[in-house]
Amino acid sequence: MRRWVLLLVVTLVIASAAQAADDPDQKSYPSLKIGGFSDFNFFASEEDEGDRGRSGFKEGQFVLHFVSEVADRIDFFGEVSMTAREEDDFKVELERGIIKYTHNDRFKVSFGRFHTPINWWNTAFHHGQYLQTSVARPAMTRFGGEFIPVHFVGAQAEGLIPSGSHNLKYIVGLGNGRDEVISQGGDAGDVNSNRAWLVNLSSKPDYAYGLQYGGAYYSDKITLEPAPGVFEEYDEAIVSCYVLWNRETPEVIVEYARVEHEGEDTGESFTSDAYYVQLAYRLPQLNSKLKPYARYEKIDVDEGQTVFGALMDRQGYLGGLRIDVVNLFAVKVEYRHQRTEDDPYVDAVWAQAAFVF
Amino acid sequence: MWTPSGPRQPLFSERGSWVRRLVIAGFVLVALCGVAEAGAIAVVAHPGVEVDDLSFAELRKIMLADRQFWSTGQRITLIVRAPVAIERTTLLERVFKMSEAQYRQYWVAKVFRGEATDGPRVVVSNEEAVDLVSVLEGAITIVDAVDVPEGLKVLRIDGHLPGDPEYAFN
Repeated sequence: MRRWVLLLVVTLVIASAAQAADDPDQKSYPSLKIGGFSDFNFFASEEDEGDRGRSGFKEGQFVLHFVSEVADRIDFFGEVSMTAREEDDFKVELERGIIKYTHNDRFKVSFGRFHTPINWWNTAFHHGQYLQTSVARPAMTRFGGEFIPVHFVGAQAEGLIPSGSHNLKYIVGLGNGRDEVISQGGDAGDVNSNRAWLVNLSSKPDYAYGLQYGGAYYSDKITLEPAPGVFEEYDEAIVSCYVLWNRETPEVIVEYARVEHEGEDTGESFTSDAYYVQLAYRLPQLNSKLKPYARYEKIDVDEGQTVFGALMDRQGYLGGLRIDVVNLFAVKVEYRHQRTEDDPYVDAVWAQAAFVF
Repeated sequence: MWTPSGPRQPLFSERGSWVRRLVIAGFVLVALCGVAEAGAIAVVAHPGVEVDDLSFAELRKIMLADRQFWSTGQRITLIVRAPVAIERTTLLERVFKMSEAQYRQYWVAKVFRGEATDGPRVVVSNEEAVDLVSVLEGAITIVDAVDVPEGLKVLRIDGHLPGDPEYAFN
């Protein structure tokens, strides 16, 4: 009897293995894949603390990216960063954690911590410096910046809209909005009972392969505590638009955003604008490894505004050269000529090695 | 040269020289046709895919995963040849207008943005490609037209099949 049971078990094991070998699409869940991005920098800048110029090597962010098929049509995306800080330690942060259900091309719903789809750059490049052409992000969408809410905690629905050759795509989101520290998202809950919501529409038309354009609208209520126990609330509305040509010969990116704040108690309103224009061109020489680029950008903060704490007017330009040394490893050299408010322009040079692992 | 029955007759007579020329011309013509047919690229899909015709733009969107589902709700499985194969080169140069480096970077970005969980399946031969397309529901690939076996669905592109004068991949 024991012999027959053993024979049955062996047969079942062999049959399972054979079925697995014959079925090329047999999936096991979860199927976790991990990738990484990092960069290493050298900079020299006229910006200083005290009377000294600053220069030196700087560790970029160490980013781990997680992708997992949790079940059929349910996927998880995660992004964890480690950032060197002046306090001689590293800040570890969950930049994105998203669980997503995909019904079809027209409807996908996800929950978690996102990069707010309030403008194009914020959802195109995330924390992987290798993917973006330049060393630095535009000031308007800088991590830790205040101009736009870079992170968004909540829910998001997205998909394609039947629109023929226009290929329209929508994103609608509902979430916690900004935290009391307005450069941060409301990770541990909303600071008020008002949820932030947004709508994003974009198009990648068939008639112009490489062209993409779109816009977004974002609404939130911000609660600030300028003094202990003293609260101020502002209605926030952000409008943005962009157009880009991303075929690299050339690459053209133009983005604009306007942020409006209105004090609930004071009725005062403030309007701040920001935009940038980036041009790049991948040269045919040297196996197309070279891509020079240039960018002009400006942030114009409403005078007298009381919402943005550290944000000031900023403008300037930068230019550089990206060298794709080998697949997934690039070296960038960048010169910046920028100023804050009406201060004199400050020059800086950056060199960056950015890669995927 | 003498044969036991007499001198060897020449293989072709004067009239036979024309026959020889016609035979040789015929072989050359057949060979040329064979070469032309071997160069035609076919877009093939799993027999269960309920699509017979794709526009060129739609093919691009599918192969770049800007569209990830057939209209029936079946997920699209992309199968592409490994680098250097003529089928992959055709996709890069004529459909995507990308270099190999740009294509790799495209898929790194696609996955990093959460728009896809993985890149396309990469195969090293047309035999492997058609084997997978025949068993994977929703699968699509491009292969040399002569390697397409019976029973596999060849999609029209802008209404044309391989061999049509207006076919996109001629």
